[in-house]
Amino acid sequence: MATPLETTARLTGPAPQEAIHRGPTWRDRIRSVIKHIVLIVASLIMIYPLLWMVASSLRPTEIIFRTPGLWLNDLYIQNYTEGWYALSYPFGQYIINSFIVVVGAIAGNLFACTLAAYAFARLKFRLRGLWFSIMLLTIMLPFHVVIVPQYIIFNKLGFVNTFVPLILPKFLATDAFFVFLMVQFIRGIPRELDEAARIDGCGHWKIFSRVMLPLMGPALATTAIFTFIWTWSDFFTPLIYLTDPIAYTVPVALRSFLDATAGSNWGAMFAMSVVTLIPLFLVFLFGQRFLVKGIATTGGK
Amino acid sequence: MALNRRQFLIGAGGLAAAATTTGLGACAPGAPSGSQGGGGEQGGKTNLALAWWGNPTRNKNTEAEIQAFQQANPNITLAGQPGDFAGYWDKLATQTAGGQAPDIIQMDMAYIAEYGNRGALLDLEKTGADTSKFVEGTVDSGRINGQLVGVNAGINSAVIVANPKIFEKAKMDVPDDKTWTWDQLSDVAAEVASKAGVPFGVVYLFGGDPMFGAYLRQNGKELFTEKDVGFEPADAQAWFDLMMKFQKAGSIGTPQQISEEGSPGGGKPIDQSAIVLGKAALQYQNSNQLEALNAASGESLKLLRAPSLAGKATERKAWYKASMLWSASAKTKNPEAAVAWINWFANTKEAVDIDKAERGIPPNAELQEYIRPKLSPAQQEVAKFIVDIKPELASTPIAPPPGGGKLAEIMFRYETDVLFGKASTAEAAQKFVDEVKSNLQV
Amino acid sequence: MSAISELSTVHRVKAKTPEEKRLRAREAARDNKAGYLFLLPWLIGLVLIVAGPLIASLYLSFTNYSLIQAPQWIGLENYARMLDDPRLLQSLKVTFIYVIVGVPLQLVVALAIAMLLNEGMKGLAFYRSIFYLPSMLGASVAIALIWRQMFESDGLVNQVLRLFGIPATTSWIADPKYALSTIILLHIWTFGSPMVIFLAGLRQIPGMYYEAASVDGASHWAQFRRITLPLLSPIIFFNLVLQIINAFQAFTQAFVVSNGTGGPSDSTLFYTLYLYQRGFGQFQMGYAAAMAWLLVVIIAAFTAINFFFSKYWVFYGD
Repeated sequence: MATPLETTARLTGPAPQEAIHRGPTWRDRIRSVIKHIVLIVASLIMIYPLLWMVASSLRPTEIIFRTPGLWLNDLYIQNYTEGWYALSYPFGQYIINSFIVVVGAIAGNLFACTLAAYAFARLKFRLRGLWFSIMLLTIMLPFHVVIVPQYIIFNKLGFVNTFVPLILPKFLATDAFFVFLMVQFIRGIPRELDEAARIDGCGHWKIFSRVMLPLMGPALATTAIFTFIWTWSDFFTPLIYLTDPIAYTVPVALRSFLDATAGSNWGAMFAMSVVTLIPLFLVFLFGQRFLVKGIATTGGK
Repeated sequence: MALNRRQFLIGAGGLAAAATTTGLGACAPGAPSGSQGGGGEQGGKTNLALAWWGNPTRNKNTEAEIQAFQQANPNITLAGQPGDFAGYWDKLATQTAGGQAPDIIQMDMAYIAEYGNRGALLDLEKTGADTSKFVEGTVDSGRINGQLVGVNAGINSAVIVANPKIFEKAKMDVPDDKTWTWDQLSDVAAEVASKAGVPFGVVYLFGGDPMFGAYLRQNGKELFTEKDVGFEPADAQAWFDLMMKFQKAGSIGTPQQISEEGSPGGGKPIDQSAIVLGKAALQYQNSNQLEALNAASGESLKLLRAPSLAGKATERKAWYKASMLWSASAKTKNPEAAVAWINWFANTKEAVDIDKAERGIPPNAELQEYIRPKLSPAQQEVAKFIVDIKPELASTPIAPPPGGGKLAEIMFRYETDVLFGKASTAEAAQKFVDEVKSNLQV
Repeated sequence: MSAISELSTVHRVKAKTPEEKRLRAREAARDNKAGYLFLLPWLIGLVLIVAGPLIASLYLSFTNYSLIQAPQWIGLENYARMLDDPRLLQSLKVTFIYVIVGVPLQLVVALAIAMLLNEGMKGLAFYRSIFYLPSMLGASVAIALIWRQMFESDGLVNQVLRLFGIPATTSWIADPKYALSTIILLHIWTFGSPMVIFLAGLRQIPGMYYEAASVDGASHWAQFRRITLPLLSPIIFFNLVLQIINAFQAFTQAFVVSNGTGGPSDSTLFYTLYLYQRGFGQFQMGYAAAMAWLLVVIIAAFTAINFFFSKYWVFYGD
């Protein structure tokens, strides 16, 4: 068997495996059916808790925890209609806040992490190994210990109760996870393409923007999607930095429904959780197309 | 050139670090600091930050209270910072570390010594807080080292809540809480659990510190002294032995059931607690949570007193607890304004008309009487209970010293060990006391 | 060639003539400058937002810091206390079990499902979203609560088991023997993130290779071993390193499922949960900082081992 890698071939082959031209056999069909059954069962198991949450959002709070099943007798919409207005501001305010933070975070990460990743993966400069190790180090430190000194810094700069501490770090590539992710992706792209561009007279910036970025589609999409989801669900950072309720993001607002000492409005909380889940789901549903798209560009230029 | 760059970066990093650490130092209370928490003065007007934890009802109440207060005090504006209980303390600690503590702070007994003992809270009495009309026994819980750093915002007391329906089902009378002893509680609980077919005769009894505190006080001890634990391992062992006695009699359920319920306040949220779901006949609770329990369970629950050693309620050494307190930051720019809020909340009819005892029964005796007829039936029952137990009170216990706030959590963990057979009561008691002691930071 | 060594050595193709040498030198200088320019945002971030707190946290580990008062220097006392701390040991034990059991299991499931989904099928986008959903919510309060409910004595899991005739009454979540397993299961349930990354990586492997191999008569398993695994190895490596780092730092799920206690009986006392308890719960931030740095050392050790062995099985195209 040939050991893989004809480098140009890597990028021009069609992605999915497909049966060779004979057409689906009886065996293939059974295989496909079994596969679908397995997947469907697995899906159900996977999302049962979510289905239960959606069902619970349509039940009055009092009976939610006594009903483990999914069957709904009535549709109790009040959790949605009342829950929207139950907090100090209509829930839409918190969704908008979260969107602002998330869009900023995605822009920041896409901008800064790609730059840093290109440097680490393709450029040779002094102390590269040292900086790379430091970058890995920053992922390893638990955030609870760094959060207080960071808070003090932002406080001194006067940025408490603004969105700055939630967005600015992304523009400075503090999410080393994505830097590392992109480094690994870039290293999978053959250097011959760089060389070819270099011979054509391109400097590093052109190589980066014209050659690398288009090929990094899946990595960029992954970064955007993950940033969206993680930032959307981040609780601790907005908790600490945002003091004015009008600025609260979704996770902080959701917690306001809960009061362990005096009875929580579970129905409303589940309802609003479902509402906030929808953007996440949609982003992922549409975004995953881009996870695949990057392959379409060819290697030769 | 690369070398210079590196030197520069290392230098800058060092500077940033130095700035941060001196920042940490400068944020000590009393030290001069640039930015202050929330507040500020602008030409005669004062802006204060007011932080509280709660739920949507309390949030709406408090917002209305802020409006009313601002109308009565046009020179003061309050910026509200609501939150949920769990996140509240992390946020407060971080804000305090950064020198941005809110001016007015809703405080809890478990944390008041942590902040008060370290100089983070204002001396309210010196600044003019008025507690003259407060019921006896409700002021001292806010004293740390002799200074009044927290004003009681609502009274509650440790009670055992009973579900009369379950007793009916067991064809038993609700026990007489003025004469029962601990052993009788166990017998009753075991009986009702088996006759009514519920897992818990009584639940949460051993997992929280108020019941343990009651037991200790009846034995002449306390949970804490000013700088130390107030009891010996032998006392803890007696308590754990009592628990095992209850367990073997069938009064408190199986170890797994106890573990699943968790400790009161640290386990299930109140609206999923055993008594609400019909799984317990008796449940330890704080009195001001009766309304929430009734609402969640749909029943009319009854308040019972904790048992006594001698079978006499007047000897049970009860006390008035502050369900929460109002404190102020020691670094607030306008102490008088902060205290103005506290006085307004504690002593005006306007305030209590809005709050309607949601935070607990008002400690101001006059306001207590005034608001009683306007309260909901459940709250009226609580108010009556609070007044009724007056003859049974003994001295107010002191707040847990710094590091002592987690006693209940630690105790429950060792109780779980004992229940699951991982430790004997003697071992667990010794380790329990050792651990609590090692956590104290006095 | 190992990733780290690749990064730390500077390639030197032999320059022969003095002209070539000058050209090389110019290129190297240009690369150097370009490197730092591209790295600039990250470096600024490092200096402004990361380095300061990083160094500060190291400093704090040598102090007594209650958050409310200024830190007081106590030297190595925190570290000394750590040696004697039974709960610390317990938290290390819990976390190690979680890492060693949970990470491989989750990655295997993620890869298996990714491969199933990679075969280009009807409803791919739908299935992929469904499988990713739990990851989106895995850290939320709502889900952790529901998870807890499911594993109670009358929860869903037991009800299903009873359907199959098994008399199930154990409270998985309340028994010290089983509580940790429920959190490991929760971790496996949220396999969506590594799955998505695997999918992206699988999609980069050209179908041509599989076709060619099929024509040669290679079995599915052989194709997997000879094509998929090697070509996917950088991604597997990435997922492995990061999932291990993440698992060591696991916090939210344990926090919500155990109500912040790490119970029952500390059986779910994850390391960062204990760190949080000490730092914020007991106002001992200095001790927490010391714990944090111990964790850094442990994670760094694991990562270094990972990188070291990677040269034996990770295959980079460049």
